[in-house]
Amino acid sequence: MTTTAIKMDHLARVEGHGNVHVVIEDGRVETVEMNIVEPSRLFESMVRGRSYTESSYISSRVCGICSASHVVTDLLAIEHAFGIQVTDRTRALRELLVYGSFLQNHATHLYVLAAPDYLRKRSIFPLAEMDRSLFDQALGLKALGNELCNKVGGRSIHPITAVVGGFTHEITPDEYRALAEKLTAAIPFAEQTVDLFHSFPVPQMETAGDFLAMEAEGDAAYPVEGSCRARFVRAGRSFDVADVDDEIEEYRVDHAAAEFSRMRATGSTFMCSALSRLNASWDRLSKRAKIAAAKVGLRPPAYNPMLNNVAQAIELVDALERCASLCLRLADDEFEGSSAPVAFEVHAGVGVGFTEAPRGSLFHKLELDDDGRIVHASIITPTSENLANLEADTRLLAEQLVAAGACADEAKAEIAKLVRAYDPCLSCSVH
Amino acid sequence: MNATLIASECEARTQPRVVVAGLASCFGCQLQITNAEAHLLEVLGQIDLRYWQLVSSEPLPDEYDVAVIEGAVTTDEAVRTVRELRAKAKAVIAIGACAVTGGVPGMAAAGFDDRVAGTFAGAVPSACGTMRAPKPVSDYIDVDFTVRCCPIDSYDFIRVLQSALYGSNHIEADRTMCGDCKRRENECFYKQGTLCLGLVTRAACGARCVNLGRPCNGCAGLSPDANLEAARATCTAAGVDPNRFDEALQMFNQAALIAAADAARKEAE
Repeated sequence: MTTTAIKMDHLARVEGHGNVHVVIEDGRVETVEMNIVEPSRLFESMVRGRSYTESSYISSRVCGICSASHVVTDLLAIEHAFGIQVTDRTRALRELLVYGSFLQNHATHLYVLAAPDYLRKRSIFPLAEMDRSLFDQALGLKALGNELCNKVGGRSIHPITAVVGGFTHEITPDEYRALAEKLTAAIPFAEQTVDLFHSFPVPQMETAGDFLAMEAEGDAAYPVEGSCRARFVRAGRSFDVADVDDEIEEYRVDHAAAEFSRMRATGSTFMCSALSRLNASWDRLSKRAKIAAAKVGLRPPAYNPMLNNVAQAIELVDALERCASLCLRLADDEFEGSSAPVAFEVHAGVGVGFTEAPRGSLFHKLELDDDGRIVHASIITPTSENLANLEADTRLLAEQLVAAGACADEAKAEIAKLVRAYDPCLSCSVH
Repeated sequence: MNATLIASECEARTQPRVVVAGLASCFGCQLQITNAEAHLLEVLGQIDLRYWQLVSSEPLPDEYDVAVIEGAVTTDEAVRTVRELRAKAKAVIAIGACAVTGGVPGMAAAGFDDRVAGTFAGAVPSACGTMRAPKPVSDYIDVDFTVRCCPIDSYDFIRVLQSALYGSNHIEADRTMCGDCKRRENECFYKQGTLCLGLVTRAACGARCVNLGRPCNGCAGLSPDANLEAARATCTAAGVDPNRFDEALQMFNQAALIAAADAARKEAE
């Protein structure tokens, strides 16, 4: 019997600590494990008993890179529980904060974490010598995303200004206009990014899992925030996020500190991601994003998880356009009301917050008592939703590689690409 | 050895070799390093970055001069890691609240075993390692330099890295954040009857949150000058429940509070 064990310990260029173990015996893929060894920080137990005033501040720390998403999602859960209606201006600012955070997230993932795979380098730094202009523009886009979050949230990581009911601070109309100008100016580079990532060869494969994403309401734009409905695209199953526990089943495995997830109704694994959102809401992309997507032929149904990188690049185009427009409208005071926190009453209740984080659907469910203290918290993160599907896709890819007679090193490289295409955030998944 | 001599010692050989390691954290402080985008290459140009799992697939080498550690120590495996880093590095820099005070993960130190049991329903996955109550890095090894706050400021990190590489007489401030905030002429939250931890928190941020209308949550850790009794009296005078003050302190100082309570208990015995 010949056994090939592919062990990728301390997977680099992913957020968090994880290993991938694949065992191939006599040409059969026997074991595939996403071994998530990120330390468990026990967030759901940590927030129990704490006041709602601290909740979003604490759960922001689940993840540095997508902290804006955790903050807004937690605030939505609290406001849902208390029955708070925020102003249109606050809603617009949250949309800007959430979608704006996609810029730094996707730019970081695409260029700092994923691109070195395709350039056959260990990190992004050699790119500074290979193509200084590309390197500068890539880091420039990431910096612009950070600047946006800095301006709107007060800090690029762990935003300060977003609180229950509104915002504690806003920038001036001139600052919004200056931001809009920079965002618009970055669109051509985002379009080049779509072409660049499309030009990287990826294995042809089709996931067997479903795709979960936010479902747009009415004539809303490409949805990342503001809707209470989610949809499993392939099953055509749509649900109100208040029922998220009935739809997503989290379960434990011994080889991961993170929970895994599956659809409760069918037991099917699923992927949430930029690719899921494109599959769900391609027709709601901005015109330029649609053109960029059409040019590289990415349109639904698109079931190759490797294409998530290209989908993220397309979202960069959409996010830049939308955020620029939001900035201009905020500068011109086009939204009803002020962003100063609205008054509200504290009372017992259950609330679910839902946003599309850069890596996919993010849910915070909070049960609060009459004093506004947390009785129970449940945080369902995109990466935790994805791990079971990623494991299944890794098996699929390993089988394809074995069938094609790939050597172990080649298999390792391809599997690493697949894992990074999922853009896992392991500290999020364990939390 | 004196960390400030690293640059001169390394000059003959090559650039100082730096590794960056992450323990229990949100990775936000490592990201903050990359968030110095415009200056990243200049910073990296001064060092030989041997290992940084977040951005590079180079493996952890056997020899290095500076170890940058992010995150709290929450497992036996992490204890071994920090000891190894200390044994090999000439200078250790702890970055971020998790590494420096235990930070937000440190909150779980109170009632830790019950939290673990409740979270995993009695069956802790082997992938979790051997979990232990979260503590700051300095509880296990000597730390030469710290970069405070949650998250760190990118440029604070560069400043401290320079201190480690080239030497500096800079001594960390002991004073509380409250004075810095006053000098910025911010309206005091206690005037509105709102709790703010700037009273007892170490000055490290220039009142970043209060400048933007949000009370201090204490992420820089307790100041050695902090007078907790006086702070509780200020709370009472402003109509803030002092119990809320004590509770709020747990967010970034749980490990220190538990250690102080243990010490007081031992003394009483």
